[in-house]
Amino acid sequence: MDTSSPSAFVNGALLRRFIGQKVRTVIQVTGSEIGSVVGKSTDDLQIVVRGSSPPSPLTTYLEVIGIAESDNAIRAETWTNFGNTFDTQNYNELCKLANGEFKHLFI
Amino acid sequence: MMEVSLTAGAIGKIMNGEVTTEADMIPVLQVTDLKQIMAQQDPTRERFRMVLSDGTYLHQGMLGTDLNNLVKEGTLQPGSIVRLTRFVGDVIKGRRIVIVPQLEVLKQISDIIGHPVPGGKHNDQRGADSGIKFNTTEQQGSGIRQVNNIEPGRSNAAISPQVGGTGSSVPASTTPSTRAYSNPSSGNGVTRQDYARDPPTSYPHQPQPPPPMYANRGPVARNEAPPKIIPVNALSPYSGRWTIKARVTNKAALKQYSNPRGEGKVFNFDLLDADGGEIRVTCFNAVADQFYDQIVVGNLYLISRGSLRPAQKNFNHLRNDYEIMLDNASTIKQCYEEDAAIPRHQFHFRTIGDIESMENNCIVDVIGIVSSISPTVTITRKNGTATPKRSLQLKDMSGRSVEVTMWGDFCNAEGQRLQSLCDSGVFPVLAVKAGRISEFNGKTVSTIGSSQLFIDPDFVEAEKLKNWFEREGKSVPCISLSREFSGSGKVDVRKTISQIKDEKLGTSEKPDWITVSATILYLKFDNFCYTACPIMNGDRPCSKKVTDNGDGTWRCEKCDKSVDECDYRYILQLQIQDHTDLTCVTAFQEAGEEIMGISAKDLYYVKNEHKDEEKFEDIIRKVAFTKYNFKLKVKEETFSDEQRVKATVVKVDKLNYSADTRTMLGAMDKLRTRDANSLPINPEGSDYNADVVNTGIGSSGTRDPSSVQRRDFGLHAHQSGQSGNHYSGGGATTSCNVCGNSGHVSAKCPGATKPQEQGQYMGGSYRGTTGSYGGGLPRQHVGSY
Repeated sequence: MDTSSPSAFVNGALLRRFIGQKVRTVIQVTGSEIGSVVGKSTDDLQIVVRGSSPPSPLTTYLEVIGIAESDNAIRAETWTNFGNTFDTQNYNELCKLANGEFKHLFI
Repeated sequence: MMEVSLTAGAIGKIMNGEVTTEADMIPVLQVTDLKQIMAQQDPTRERFRMVLSDGTYLHQGMLGTDLNNLVKEGTLQPGSIVRLTRFVGDVIKGRRIVIVPQLEVLKQISDIIGHPVPGGKHNDQRGADSGIKFNTTEQQGSGIRQVNNIEPGRSNAAISPQVGGTGSSVPASTTPSTRAYSNPSSGNGVTRQDYARDPPTSYPHQPQPPPPMYANRGPVARNEAPPKIIPVNALSPYSGRWTIKARVTNKAALKQYSNPRGEGKVFNFDLLDADGGEIRVTCFNAVADQFYDQIVVGNLYLISRGSLRPAQKNFNHLRNDYEIMLDNASTIKQCYEEDAAIPRHQFHFRTIGDIESMENNCIVDVIGIVSSISPTVTITRKNGTATPKRSLQLKDMSGRSVEVTMWGDFCNAEGQRLQSLCDSGVFPVLAVKAGRISEFNGKTVSTIGSSQLFIDPDFVEAEKLKNWFEREGKSVPCISLSREFSGSGKVDVRKTISQIKDEKLGTSEKPDWITVSATILYLKFDNFCYTACPIMNGDRPCSKKVTDNGDGTWRCEKCDKSVDECDYRYILQLQIQDHTDLTCVTAFQEAGEEIMGISAKDLYYVKNEHKDEEKFEDIIRKVAFTKYNFKLKVKEETFSDEQRVKATVVKVDKLNYSADTRTMLGAMDKLRTRDANSLPINPEGSDYNADVVNTGIGSSGTRDPSSVQRRDFGLHAHQSGQSGNHYSGGGATTSCNVCGNSGHVSAKCPGATKPQEQGQYMGGSYRGTTGSYGGGLPRQHVGSY
């Protein structure tokens, strides 16, 4: 497993802490156009994901891994369909814990 | 028609013989009742008996026959006000009766003036009216009535001479000053007193507002003739005529019944008086109808004339050997003035610790803090009826807790309220009156028909409990008298595999039912099934192992039959492992099918009949490393002198990641808040090695961690009872989760490199071959939650 460039688990609120760094998050897709996908983060903030090759068709939930460009935009390198059901609350808690109390367990 | 007013005190004078004929006085009285009777001397003549009132007292009278037509015409009717122009108060057969040959009807129709009470036929029989003092002022001769002042029953012995017997001697002094409300207008009014019986014995003084004074107006006397009130505890079948003043503490519903003697209805209510005496009152049929609506819990009543009978101890749990039965002669009168001397309820609280030593079926009052409450479940009784049931845990200062079971309406009424209170983070005080102690998984307290529940009552004890709880009760572990939940289902108890050994699960008399989340490591593929008897035994197949008869048939010893075709049933030996430990479990048919994904018979055929090794191996391989939630029954069994703890898989559930994650998050929360209110560390808390006891939430059972987490466990926390032990100590382990040694916490660990945020973990529970975690912090599966 390639651990050379770890990505931090973020939700909408945490994204701004990692601007310029590699992050990963799961969004609920609300709209997509050529070259970008707009979605809702697990804490209900809007996130725009730009990049080449989003998978198609897109499922409801999508994980993106990429560089955070601003506090609500990511330039994605990897896209993964996460299916149509997803527990956003759990994921949100994960983000909070991974960057807070249990930071030392992650990056 | 002019205003007429009754001659105050007239009846009194007639009764005591002061006034016997119209020569003494021509009184104006009111006829309150008229009854036709048979004249004894001359049966053909009708005679009318009437009751005369002076506004305060009633007296029997006979209407002269000449006046009969007045009644017949309607001129004289009940309520009429009359002036007795000729009369004789005579004693006939020891009774004084007023015979009226001539009267004048002043007013035909009138409402009954005042609240006159029977004056009694004979002076000495005015038992109910003892101690009444009359204070009437009147001017002799003029016949104009004055104020009629009624002195409330005060034993003013000092003030005015009490005239026993006849009150014919008139105290000359006018002492208007002694009566605050004497009528000053008749300065020389004569203060008269009607006799007073014996000086009033013990009866509570009912202070009454002094009646207003009217000049030249009739008395609006409210004669509250205080009856002779006796304490409830003094009642007995030999009490004679009695009156009690008490407050209703409980009122049962009106019940219909039918027994061999017929049908009827009944209701009862409980009374409490100022001395703390309690008694139950029962009313049947017509009497029940009469009083049912009148009785309100919390009100004060004066009750007289009922019969006393021995209390039915089965239903009546009040402290009284007797109970009252009312009949149509009984009277119930409400007291509108409050009497603070009479409490609203009376309890005889016992501590929960006492309950431990009390007998079953004892009725007891108890008060405590509700530490947890579970939702209502429906229990089906043997006779088929379904009843709601709800249990909660009650703690008090004795350091014990007990399960309180609510049945029937309590579940939804008080039960729901308690649940809402608990859910919002409050620990309410609950007082139970008349709960029954029963032995069912330890001691429990159950509600019965006559129980009453009081939530956050306004008692001294409640205050004390609340303070105690704030200070220490929250965190002090309580030993539970109720060993296990007695619920209708098994609640999901999460454990880690290491806990099976650590907590010596399965070693008590009963098996332990737990759930573990684990991965299948290895599956023994020899003898994964056995030949089973297919004969149906009720709705289940016998399933006992059948032996091969050699001729293609199979014999079952249990059913004592042979069958041609046998069943194949799984008997899987699995090795499962979680992050703490690994163990071997056995899975039978149902679980086996779930795990394997193929029926035992098919699999058997694949291997043995078709001899398709490849397919077989394929199937087996797929099973390995699958993760499930295993519901295990853990029990120690003896195998040829050896005790072994065996675990059987009762049910296998696929993991629901979402739900499991949430549970985990919840558990983490609890762990965090618990440590925020960390307990004093007691290194030598329990019987176990410090590194062994799982202080994960709830598993220690007796521990009562902080508010939030305690709640969700409900009965979980007592699960540890399943392992058959009561954890008594503080139980907080001080095993360091960094180095695994006991005696200090990870934060103080000499070997720690990172600050510990999590507080205490069970150190030694990390075992097995699950590999090591970087950072030196084993991730803890937090106990049972």
